[in-house]
Amino acid sequence: MKHLIIIISSILFSTLFYNQYIGLNLSIFSVLSVIVLAISNTHKFRNKITIFYTLMYLITAVLVFIQYTNLSILANIIAFTTLVGSVTESKSSIYVQWYNGVYTSIAGFLHRRFLKQTIEEKKTSKRNIDVLHLVKLVGIPLVFIIIFIVLYKNGNPIFNDIISKINFNFINLQWLLFTVLGYYLFSNIFKPVQVDSATNLDLQTGNILYKPDTFSTEAIEKEKQLGIILLLLLNILIVFYLTTDIISLTTTRPTDASVYSSQVHNGINTLIASIIIAIVIILYFFRGNLNFFKDNKNLKNLAYTWIFLNTTLVIIIAIKNYEYIASFGLTYKRIGVNIYLFLTFIGLITTFLKVSKIKNLWFLFRINTQIAFVLLILFSFVNWDYSITKYNINHAPSLDLNYLINLSNNNAVLLNEYRESANLSSEQDNKILAKHRNYIKTVKDRNWQEYTYSNFNIKTTNEYTK
Amino acid sequence: MNILSNIGKSSLLAASIFWIIILSDTFDWDMIPFIFLSLIPIYICCAFTILITICPIFWFLKSDDYSKRRIFKTYFPIYTITMFSFCVYCIYKTSFEVFILSFFISAYITTAQSWVWFSKENVVIK
Repeated sequence: MKHLIIIISSILFSTLFYNQYIGLNLSIFSVLSVIVLAISNTHKFRNKITIFYTLMYLITAVLVFIQYTNLSILANIIAFTTLVGSVTESKSSIYVQWYNGVYTSIAGFLHRRFLKQTIEEKKTSKRNIDVLHLVKLVGIPLVFIIIFIVLYKNGNPIFNDIISKINFNFINLQWLLFTVLGYYLFSNIFKPVQVDSATNLDLQTGNILYKPDTFSTEAIEKEKQLGIILLLLLNILIVFYLTTDIISLTTTRPTDASVYSSQVHNGINTLIASIIIAIVIILYFFRGNLNFFKDNKNLKNLAYTWIFLNTTLVIIIAIKNYEYIASFGLTYKRIGVNIYLFLTFIGLITTFLKVSKIKNLWFLFRINTQIAFVLLILFSFVNWDYSITKYNINHAPSLDLNYLINLSNNNAVLLNEYRESANLSSEQDNKILAKHRNYIKTVKDRNWQEYTYSNFNIKTTNEYTK
Repeated sequence: MNILSNIGKSSLLAASIFWIIILSDTFDWDMIPFIFLSLIPIYICCAFTILITICPIFWFLKSDDYSKRRIFKTYFPIYTITMFSFCVYCIYKTSFEVFILSFFISAYITTAQSWVWFSKENVVIK
């Protein structure tokens, strides 16, 4: 039964992906993977976490079909490894699930085979010899026959003619190899395996720091003094920096894109360094005993203040970035800055929670990776190329049309509509027209495996006839 | 650890995979002598890779408290994920050219299987 399911799945895998681009095939593959996993691990699919990840995976599969963006494909792949890892051990942290998921997907079959062999090694020693003998029986004669065919070919022209007429083209060996790849993949995920060392360590490690029975008050007192002085000075420094930054933000208003760009990116560099050092320092001082020292109130307040001031820094850079976008439109870099700022903001909040609720370092890793995963799924709901183009055409005072033309084909229809309504230079007009024609041709030439939502959308609006 | 035997088996496996993929793309009887000749560089590649990347892990870690089975379960996942990422990166960088594709696919499968062979010998089940 197991082999039958895997063989059918691998044939479907070849049918879906052999010589095809990504499209509907990835969505169907996602459903197929869920079915295979559910059949082989039925009891695991009663778990709420696994059901949640299954839904996430299926949502990304739909998004691949509808949005057809690189981000949705990436989200689908990550959701797949998360689901496989969750089937392995649903209670583990999400990064351990990724680890288990990736390991299962690429080497689950070898892992299971190794475990099976070591357990049955003594019992089946005869069988191993038989397999080796079988390989010899087939391999050695085959090698010698091939050698002699090559030798005889040169010695006899009639023999050479006959051998040259042998044609194996009726067998599509590449398709067969692709099916073997599918078989290997489905064998891997059929019974997901786990990396015991990482999974057990993760399951044994909680989120809370525990108070040690004894600790040196003198050493803690010295550490607290160091922490207070350091954080106090850093707070003064960041207040000074923020003041000058707010003054420059309110008094100067650059009109040049390069000046804005430089301001925002310098700010981002400052922010990266500042946040990393802030979190490392806070984690260092609140790594253990200082959390339970009764006289740690001042140090905690200074840490909270610094987190607050760094949050203010995030807001100021967000304002700068907003103005930059309002003046010059959206680009991937500018959106990336916003996403980075948002993630930093989340990081600061979780660091605050770590200190106030006396959590350990693992808490930070766990919660931040979970948030990053959910955000990745949420961001893949957006067709970014289309959204950037639409925003820039409708709102940006200064439109960089060449940038929009160089984006993926997802904005081709929108750009073509803009071309028809606006008065563009002949060069830009031709570029957009070529892009749109190329898009229509690509969509039209797709096989059913490569279909996306745009195939149906374009057909209904008769774009082919334009 | 029977290193020579492992390298020999790995070379045959690597050669088989490498040539099956290449011949699936283009088959010509005149290529047959090259298949046999290629065993020499494939053997050298396998020997280097196994001796440099796999054997040291067993040499340094194996002890009475650390069985081969435990080494496999702890370090094989790290090794195989690293190797897989490296191979996929190289294949991607060379735009899926058949020769490179077959080289890295055979490298990945051979090294992974080599781990299984190394770990299987004289296993102490705990």
